[in-house]
Amino acid sequence: MRKSRVAYPLTWRVMDGLEGLAARLWPARFEKGLPYLMLAPAVLLVGILVLGLVQIGDSSLRVLDTSTFLMSEDLTLANYHRALTESFFATVAGRSLLGSVIVTIVTLIFAFPYAYLMVRTPSSALRKLLLVALFLPFFIGQVVRAYGWLIILGNQGMVNEALGLVGVAPMRLLYNYPAVLFGLVQYMLPFAVLMLAPALTAIPAELESAASSLGANWLRTFRHVVLPLARPGLVGAGLVVVTLSLTDFAIPAILGGGTQDFIANAIYDQFFRTSDQGMGATLSLMLVAVGSLLVGLVFMLFGAGTLAMTGERK
Amino acid sequence: MSHEKFLTTEIRRRTLLASMAAVGASATFGTGKAFAQEPEKPAEIIVRAWGGSWVDSLKAGVSDSFTKATGIAVRHDLTEDNEIQPKVWAAVAQNRVPPIHINWDTTTNATKSALRGVTEDLSDLPNLKNTTELAKPVGLDGYPIVNTYGYVYVLAYRPSAFPNGAPKSWKDLLDPKLKGRIALYNDGIGFHFPAQVAGGGKLEDIPGNMQPAWDFIRQIKAQEPLLGEDPDFTTWFQKGEIDAACTISTNAREARKNGIELAWVVPEEGAKFDTDGLWIPKGLPENELYWAKQYINHALTKEAQQVWLDGLGLPGVVPGLTPPADLVGDPSYPTTEEDFKHLIRISSKTQVENESQWFGKFKEIMQG
Repeated sequence: MRKSRVAYPLTWRVMDGLEGLAARLWPARFEKGLPYLMLAPAVLLVGILVLGLVQIGDSSLRVLDTSTFLMSEDLTLANYHRALTESFFATVAGRSLLGSVIVTIVTLIFAFPYAYLMVRTPSSALRKLLLVALFLPFFIGQVVRAYGWLIILGNQGMVNEALGLVGVAPMRLLYNYPAVLFGLVQYMLPFAVLMLAPALTAIPAELESAASSLGANWLRTFRHVVLPLARPGLVGAGLVVVTLSLTDFAIPAILGGGTQDFIANAIYDQFFRTSDQGMGATLSLMLVAVGSLLVGLVFMLFGAGTLAMTGERK
Repeated sequence: MSHEKFLTTEIRRRTLLASMAAVGASATFGTGKAFAQEPEKPAEIIVRAWGGSWVDSLKAGVSDSFTKATGIAVRHDLTEDNEIQPKVWAAVAQNRVPPIHINWDTTTNATKSALRGVTEDLSDLPNLKNTTELAKPVGLDGYPIVNTYGYVYVLAYRPSAFPNGAPKSWKDLLDPKLKGRIALYNDGIGFHFPAQVAGGGKLEDIPGNMQPAWDFIRQIKAQEPLLGEDPDFTTWFQKGEIDAACTISTNAREARKNGIELAWVVPEEGAKFDTDGLWIPKGLPENELYWAKQYINHALTKEAQQVWLDGLGLPGVVPGLTPPADLVGDPSYPTTEEDFKHLIRISSKTQVENESQWFGKFKEIMQG
């Protein structure tokens, strides 16, 4: 009796062929090696990063000879000594660290209610509106957004014009530390909301209802139920915001008026203005070290939050 | 590696032949004829330039006429001068073809590249014989760079902010009413030397003792100046953010062209005079090197300089140029010995050797 073509369709035959080919290329006895093979791209990527860091480490041990503008042949710790003793670098590092902490705290305070409302609202229209408002800034680059603030907050900007209507003289709203922090908070807000939203979604709404039915008011429910359960999201969002703020370049450069440099601006100056690759490499490595220490400290104190790889609640 | 080794690179036979051809061909350049031994023309040459009115002027004065005469297109690469430098250095170090044919650069930056040994020698350009002393880089052997014009870091101001008349001294910037209303370059360039005088010091003490300059800059810091780059000054004047700035006269003139009420002076302490130039990175194919040299040679013709520098409002390196009508007798357009007496010129070598330290000190004061 002739076989029905329908009983074993062509797509199945193709799949069989592919499976056969895969079995020949990667026999079953290699199965144990599969996880390692899947790790290969990550190892390659990390390897390239490590190679880059080694190169930067080597540069950091060489000083610039201003008679030839070449790096010294000899290795020295002179750049590290400069970085640790010159007050300029301490000022910039202190400003960056303090700024990133302030930005993280303020961003989380603003992001939390936004994410909570987005997750809990029964209105799909409001949820969509909040999502659109969240994603819209991603289509506008950081530099463009910073220039937008120049237009809005400038001496002849919209805010000062509005103030002028009520008789307030134009005031300097830009080119100072608060302007830089403001710009960073605005830039970081979507990142924080995106990190918080999954953590809040994972909190069953019934828990809040249960707390309420047991007599807890909104504040107690928030403090004893929502906040502890949202901790993974807060930690994840905090880590992302603090590291991005610490290493930011454009916002301090544009909104700081040249006097509110962060570490990244100082690194740029060393590489591109004074042509001192050694000093630039030194500051880069120190930034990586400080950022890693900061993240490590948070991991130790609060766990890895939503960045954890285990899937367990911490 | 020694400095001398970089600046006295042995001339290779092919380079010599190409240079001789360049000299020969230059005799007919501009007539549309070509010598039989002219190397193959590249489809384009890439010239790094500053944007805005700077590149517009270069295009109008040099690039367009070069293309008309040779048929070679000129592409302007607007990568920042500080950012192209490490790319060129890396290309030369790795024996790669550099990303540009010609770098339009500050003489100070170009001197760094010359000291590093990444610049081609331009001593064989025929039109150099028609140039003034200004074209020759000070403190370097030969012509690793050709200076093409000079400029002055003037005190530009908004006349309405100075109702009692134009400022006479850099110290006028310390007026309390100017707090938050003045601007300097973010690395202090252009301001260090007049600050040395305004702070009670002597120019002869540079670089040994610049304490007077740092003391004066500390006083200026208390005025909360904005720190920026060329385009920022024009924008800040236009947006009403500042009333006075130490900036290159070209930026002030550009803002005035855009309808902003603006004037400038060379204060009694003097103003820094410096130069920009053109140079060619090593590593270009021989034919492209030849045509890059032709471009610079063309930039040194009176016709090209006149149009180019009319646009910039700056004095060139070829005698007999006519100043733009709005700059006749202007201190930012020095032409006579008397004009130069009020200007401060420090050798590029001194600047290059100390720039990093000065920059760090300026940053330390301003970021503190």
